[in-house]
Order: sequence, then C-alpha cells, then structure tokens
Amino acid sequence: MTAVHQFVPALLPRDATGDHTRALRDALRAAGWESDIYVEAAHDELQDEATYFEKYPSRARPGDVLLYQLGTSSPVAEFLLGRDEPLVLDYHNVTPASFYEGWEAHTVEKVALARRQVAALAPHAVLGIADSAFNARELEDLGCPATAVVPILVDLQTAHGAADAAELARLTADHGDATVLLFVGRLSPNKCHERLVEALWVYRRLYDPDARLHLVGPTVTPEYAEAVFAFADELGLADAVRHAEGLTGAELAAWYGDADVFVCLSEHEGFCIPLLEAMRADTPIVALDAGAVGETLADAGLLLEEARPATVAAAVHRIRQDDGLAAFLTEAGRRRLEDFAAPVTRQRFVEVLAGVAGREPVVA
Amino acid sequence: MADRVRYLDEVMAEIDAEVRRRRASGDLPAGLERELDELFLEFSPVGLQGRARLRETLSLVDGSAYVDIAVPTASNKAVGSYIKRVMRKGLGWYMNFIVTQIVKFAWSVSRMFHVVVDHIEDLEAAVEAHRSPDLPASVAPSASDGGSWWAAAAVEALAGVTERVVVADCGDASLVEALLVAGVDAYGVDPSDLALEPALDRGVDVRAEPALDHLEVVADEALGGIVLTGSVQWLRPNERERVLDLVSSRLAVDGTFVLHSASPAAWAASAPPVVRDLAPGHPLHPETWAHLLGGRGFVVTATVTGGDDRRLAHVGGDTADSATVNAAIDAINDQLLGPTEYLVVATRER
Repeated sequence: MTAVHQFVPALLPRDATGDHTRALRDALRAAGWESDIYVEAAHDELQDEATYFEKYPSRARPGDVLLYQLGTSSPVAEFLLGRDEPLVLDYHNVTPASFYEGWEAHTVEKVALARRQVAALAPHAVLGIADSAFNARELEDLGCPATAVVPILVDLQTAHGAADAAELARLTADHGDATVLLFVGRLSPNKCHERLVEALWVYRRLYDPDARLHLVGPTVTPEYAEAVFAFADELGLADAVRHAEGLTGAELAAWYGDADVFVCLSEHEGFCIPLLEAMRADTPIVALDAGAVGETLADAGLLLEEARPATVAAAVHRIRQDDGLAAFLTEAGRRRLEDFAAPVTRQRFVEVLAGVAGREPVVA
Repeated sequence: MADRVRYLDEVMAEIDAEVRRRRASGDLPAGLERELDELFLEFSPVGLQGRARLRETLSLVDGSAYVDIAVPTASNKAVGSYIKRVMRKGLGWYMNFIVTQIVKFAWSVSRMFHVVVDHIEDLEAAVEAHRSPDLPASVAPSASDGGSWWAAAAVEALAGVTERVVVADCGDASLVEALLVAGVDAYGVDPSDLALEPALDRGVDVRAEPALDHLEVVADEALGGIVLTGSVQWLRPNERERVLDLVSSRLAVDGTFVLHSASPAAWAASAPPVVRDLAPGHPLHPETWAHLLGGRGFVVTATVTGGDDRRLAHVGGDTADSATVNAAIDAINDQLLGPTEYLVVATRER
C-alpha cells in the first residue's frame, strides 16, 4: 500500500495549516493510502493524531512519500533534508523578513531562517505543491524541479457552520446602520492594518461619519498592533475600530455576516483564505492586488492597483450605494467558491500525489 | 466572463473618477494621504528616529520587566483547570521566590538603561549647543586644480611613490591626472558628484566620498601618498584631529603627505563674510601643521608658499622717510598681502 506521510511543524486546531493537514490525511486515507502526520509539536486536543517526527525512521517503509507542510521554520526541514524518500513540498508561503524589520528582530530571524529552509528544500523535492501560482513561482525560482497549483483544503461549511445568531444580534445592535468594513487576518505588518485605518478615516470624512472597522485576528506582532491602535486613537477612531481574536467558527461567521464590505489591503498574501470566507458569507470584497490575492479573488471583488485610502473609501462607498454591483460581486463570489470546493481540491491532491507515488488516483 | 471583466473595469473607472472629483472639489486636500502615512510612522519603530526611538525601545524594556506569577488556570477540561489551580497554589511560594529575583534583575537592567539614555540625551544637548550652522553650498572650498601654482610642487613631492596615492577634494581630478602622467598610481575622492562628472567622463578613477569617510575605510599603511586640500582648511578641531590620525595610520612608513591650505591672514582678508562667520574651523599656519604632524611621527620636508602675491613694492629713494615708509610696507605685506596659500610636504618616519 502506498503511504504518503505528512510532516508539519505544529498541528493546531482552528488553524488553516492544521485543518488542511488533517483534511488531506483523511482524503488520502479515503483513497486507500496510508497516511500519518508527523510533527514537531501538537496541540493538546490533537495529540492522538500526531507522532513526533523523529520517530519516523523506525516506522519508515520502502515506497513511502513524504509531504512537508511548509509555512514556517522548523527542525523538521533539516530532518527531511537528510531523508532519501521522495519529498513533496506543500508550500503555503513564508512572509519575507523585510516586513518585520524594525518591528520584531526575532521574527525577522525566524522568517529569514524559514526562507533559507525553503531555498534548501526546493531543489531537494520531487514536486512542489503550491496554494497559488504566486507561491508556485517562488518554488520554481528556488529550483524546485516541478510544481502543481492545488488550493488549500478548506471545508468552509464544516469549519464555520452557521453564524452565531446572538453574536450577530449583538454586533448589529452595537453599530446600528453604520457601514462596517471588515478584515480578518493576523495583526502583522504585511497585512497593512494601518491602511485600513486610513481608509476608514477617509470613508468617515467623505461618506459615513459613523462607519466602523472590524478587525479579527490574532496579535502575532504586538508592537505593530499597538502602533495600529495608537494610530487609530490619534485619528479619533478609537471607538470606531474594534478588534476580536479567538472567535469560534460560528462567531467568526457572524462577524462576516455583519460586515458590509470585506476589505483586504495586505501587501503579501500567499493565498488568503479570508477571501473565501467572505465569499461564503456573501460579503462583497474590496482588495489590493498584491501577492496571490488577485488570482484567489478572480472577478469576485473589486481589485485595486493601489491601497490609497481615497480609492478604497470610494470603492466601499460604490458597493454600499450600488445594489446591483453588490449582488454581482456576491454572485461572483459564490461561483468562485466552487473552484475551491473541498471535493474538487481533494480530487486534485490525490491526482497530483498519485503521479509522485506511481499509482492510479482513487477518491472515495 | 469577458462581459464581467468589462463591467468591473467600468466600475473601477467610475471609482477613479469619483476620487478625482473629490480631489478637485477640495474634499481630499493634496498631501492628505502622505500626511496619514507620516502620522502612522510616528507610532512605528520603523519611523522613529534618534531620541524618540531610544525612548520607545526603553518603554518596551520597562514593559517587559514585570513577570506575572499568576499563571492562567483556564482549561478546556474542568479537571485540567483544577490541576492547574492546585499547581499554582502549591508552587506559589517557589515561583514567588524565583520571580522576585528575576523582576529585581530586570528592573536593575531597566534602571541602568534609563541612566544611559539620560546621559546620552545630556550629551546630545551639549553637542547641539556647539553645533555650527551649515555653510551655503555655493561657498564650498575650491577643489584642487592641477594647473594651479602648487600642483607642480605636489607632483614633484610625490614622484617616485610606488604605492597608491589619494587626492582628497580632487574636484575635476586634474591633479590626479598630472600625477598619473608622472607615473604615480593616483586616484581621487570628492564629496561632490557634480564636481566629479568631468573626471568620470574622462575615465579617471574618482569616488564620490568625503575625505574623512574614505580614509575611514582604507586599510592601515595602504597608501604611499595623501594629498589634502579644500575642506581640510575648515574642519572642526575634532574632525581635523581625526583626519590627522587617519593620515598617520593609512600612510605607509616613508609615505608622503601633502597639505595645501590658504594662509590664515589671506583667508581672513579674502574669504566671503558668510564663510568667515560660519565656518566651523579656519586655516592654520604652516608651523601649526608642522607641530601637529610632528606629534604623529612626521617630518616636514618642505613648506612652499604661493598663490596671489599682492605685496606692495618699496618706494624709491634713500631717505629716512622712504626707509620708514618701506618698513611700514614690509609690515603690511607680512600681515596682509603676502602669499595667500602654502603647501606643506611631510614624510612619515614612524
């Protein structure tokens, strides 16, 4: 029996890479393959689903294919460089260190190490699977001999379920008829939250003085988060900018459902799952065309060439005023979402990995 | 698909038109977006400079100097929370003992940083009080001129030097070229890109750098000769000391140092008023250079005077009156009208 074992630095619940890894394992097992997950660390909730990566050599068997979920630095990378089994990279992108310079010295070091590991692994792999063509180009530039673009496996229906009605009611009561701009993503310099604050400030000045900005995501760079909120405070927006983290899937769905427009002004995204979440919630999207955002979004949103606050504000205003445009975008979002449907992506993963393992693809 | 793309293109064009209309109406003042960006930089360590960055970093140290011993006890499982509470209670005395020492150390370090930063700010304030205003660019010292009176003397002093020779404030590099013609491996540096353009066009080896910056990165004893002119006359005392230290370390033993300067009297009489008033330093007498160089192991081998010679001629006659007038003329010539420039040539002996 062919075995495709996955390696991942950390297996976490309610985490895009963790969810993807577990979903892929299930898909491979359903296709009749052996598949286990080897980790450097696993969350308490998932201890039963993971094995410490250094235990793999004692379990290795001829014909194994190793698949590395690559998105951060880890000793797992060094371990895999020393293995002879065919290696497949599933590349989720590493944010360039330059985004963290001046903010967090240790993060600069960490991501710089991660990018060095990507550079070392790329030519060593037999195949690089990338969430986006943007990520695939990075692997090719680093000498990966072959690449395939397969989106991240995310079952939005299962992940978030229905919106939490109580949370939705609370949010609506909080802001009334005011326009709500939403962005979901970790508070990190490459996400450019300050641009969102600037856009809100201009939007309130020109179109809706009561408008709000809702930010959802973990604070991974505290100094950056403090700067963003101090900036908002200086602009008199302390009460207009709300931040939440650690939401359940249903609560997150409520925040999406409550928003009038999802706005993404990130300068670097390797895929951007929140775009899909916004599509699923029928929330119209305005986004900066940077990194992989353009290819993930396609025609399901207003794609901006520049994140100038006046242009962002005008785009949000246009969606608010033009019901036809809002309907067009939500319809396009539903259509685009079908391209990322879990069964489609599962099939594609199995096909691609069957090519590496030398067997016929079968999907249960 | 094409229709959808066309529709979105039309919408984006209308959005751009709306932004232009808002700008034209004055709703979006020019420079507003730049001001927003600059405002954010004030809150960012990326944008903070100097004292503000120092204080910002210090506040981070202060914020990190406290260690909370109240370990979180929340857990997904009730038994987990219970175990954590028991552990926190049971280990509280131990944690408190350790953490007290850690916090004490952290606060000591933080206090030390505060003292250092206060001291730095005092120094900055003291230095700022002595800062000279910048001179207008239009009155920069004249760059070397290979056709000037001292070029031939400089070439003669450096003839036969086999190691590299640098000409500081080389301007159009005519002196560099004269040295090359004489078989000397010379190159030039000058802080002005504009002054160097003709030399670059002719393919001469010149670099756009101030002399001080350049000498900082040259290896010890790597040069056989150094020619200083131009801004060396106006250096602040501390900069002049640094230049002399660098000259004595970058020059090989037996290397040749050539210094060209205006004489103090000529400078005082002819330099533009703005330069005289604002220049951080002023030209020295050749004897002073000889003193400074002697302290660094140099021996002055020649002092040559030149430049404009506006000395008055003696009056004719052999009378007592003419002798008195000629004595007065000599005094005026010596004080005010003698050679306006000089060249000091020195050899590094140790």
